[in-house]
Amino acid sequence: MGIHQYLIESAERYPDRQAIVEVHKSRTYRELCADAKKIAAWLFSESIAPGDRVGILMDDPAEYVASYFGILMAGAVVVALNTQTTSRTLKEVINDAEISILVTQFKFVRYLTYIADGIPSLRAISVHGFSSPPPSLLGIKLTDSAYVYDESYLQNKEMLAFLGGSDMDIAQIVYTSGTSGKPKGVVLQHGNLMANTCSTIRYLQLTPDERHMVVLPFFYSFGNSVMLTHIAAGATMIVHQSVMYPKVVLDIMQRENVTAISGVPSTFAMLFSTPLVKRYSFPCMRYFAQAGGPLSPKYAMEMKNTFPEVDIYIMYGQTEASPRLSYLHPDDFYRKPGSIGRAIPGVTLKLLDTKGRPVQAGDVGEIVACGQNIMQGYWKDPGRTAMVLRKEGLWTGDLAKMDEEGHLYIVGRKSEMIKSGAHRIAPKEIEEIMLEHPAVKAAAVFGVADEILGEIIVACIITKTGGDCDEKALFLHCKQNLPGFKVPKHICFVENFPTTGNGKIDKNSLKNSSAELLKG
Amino acid sequence: MQSAVRETITKIRKFILENFMFTDDEAALRNEDSFLEKGIIDSTGMLELMAFISDEFHTTIDDDEIIPDNLDSVNHVASFILTKKTGNI
Repeated sequence: MGIHQYLIESAERYPDRQAIVEVHKSRTYRELCADAKKIAAWLFSESIAPGDRVGILMDDPAEYVASYFGILMAGAVVVALNTQTTSRTLKEVINDAEISILVTQFKFVRYLTYIADGIPSLRAISVHGFSSPPPSLLGIKLTDSAYVYDESYLQNKEMLAFLGGSDMDIAQIVYTSGTSGKPKGVVLQHGNLMANTCSTIRYLQLTPDERHMVVLPFFYSFGNSVMLTHIAAGATMIVHQSVMYPKVVLDIMQRENVTAISGVPSTFAMLFSTPLVKRYSFPCMRYFAQAGGPLSPKYAMEMKNTFPEVDIYIMYGQTEASPRLSYLHPDDFYRKPGSIGRAIPGVTLKLLDTKGRPVQAGDVGEIVACGQNIMQGYWKDPGRTAMVLRKEGLWTGDLAKMDEEGHLYIVGRKSEMIKSGAHRIAPKEIEEIMLEHPAVKAAAVFGVADEILGEIIVACIITKTGGDCDEKALFLHCKQNLPGFKVPKHICFVENFPTTGNGKIDKNSLKNSSAELLKG
Repeated sequence: MQSAVRETITKIRKFILENFMFTDDEAALRNEDSFLEKGIIDSTGMLELMAFISDEFHTTIDDDEIIPDNLDSVNHVASFILTKKTGNI
């Protein structure tokens, strides 16, 4: 069985139940499944082969979900692309994954116009929402998605008999920031995603009556998990994937009688830090689920004080684990503050030292995970795979302590990875881009604590002339070459970098001095 | 009144171009462009925009005024500020 069966089965059980509700439209399970089948049939007509990679570059929720399951029904592999992107980033990922077909919206085609001659694997694109004649894309066939949704495709008996891969086949490659600065593709089989989906449904006790507020994009592994668990449960997703205007989200939550919401710390900081929230009542709300870094204790307590009857699930995971690894049971919210809880069903978590030996109780060790949810490796990268997938399990790079009851507490990370909002960001990628600017001699990028985002990106620069350079030009250079969420919030000019005993840049020292500077 | 509108729009455009788009190219931003839809401003950028409105125009923004109709384009922001200043909100 493959994960696309979740949609097929929910459409059989609950054909007229709303699967996705947006402000101006909704889809029932019957409609969503029919759309997914049409996309699968179109992919067949484009001679897609099992295991071929198909990209999704979309921020239209219903189209995204239909495309996701359609690709899997065709036996292909989903590569969901971050819509906050640049032509440069897209080119890198399309080439690395060797994407042969892309489903997208008209507004994103502009990214491809600059790189069409440098992405040889891409041969066909389905475009949703054509509003004017498309630009010419050298040798790449463009099809209006209205044509993709043509019923006649469903006559393809070969396709209907096939309907997708099974648990050992690759279902999805999820691109995430690598410490080297180059994106890495996390390879997940149907079986990995199914194991994690079943476990998450179990501990969150999801039922078809759930009405979940989805504010996270589906292309993130957290959003992906929310999508899979709710489609599998036959539940309803109320989707508005932005918290920029908190009142808009709170209005939707109240109007739609949502039963739960998932988010990263900045989601809850944006929604619940405003006094406005006290004017709302959510009588059906069952739980808040938070992952993606530590939630400020201040906001956690505010949420609990404002909505004492609502459970709060603190969760921890990694894209490499499909993604959930642990959760803190809501009953332990007051008893175990700061904990990420214990392993979810089907997962084993150990704390090991650098030699792979279990650490003593109370000592710090690296979290190592085992379970059917763990990835197969990094796409075309056996070297990096061997570094994290070892005989003990998945070495997460997260350092933690365990208390006498087995509850874990994260104390740090082995890598320099910055966690800002829902994003994991490799400093090296930003440093490399900054070094391409002619005025920059050296760059050190790091995260500084921020109440809303968890961390913000700060860059310290040494210029070739030793003084300041045009800060605006440097920001523009970053903006042109990096997705918006990777552009530093602050740039500081320094004459030299402090170093550690072994001659490396002492980023902790830079971090502390920058944090002081920013406070002032 | 016309000059007040022009001056307000110019200040807002300058702030958006300099702080979120990092460019002097006036053509990069149309006054009706949606900040959210075009990906010009994100959630934290919105907090910066609100701080700018408060500092530059001495205009307080209530929580329930943080909605697209008031803040999601140069035209919307300008209209919001001018309406607040004339006491029509």
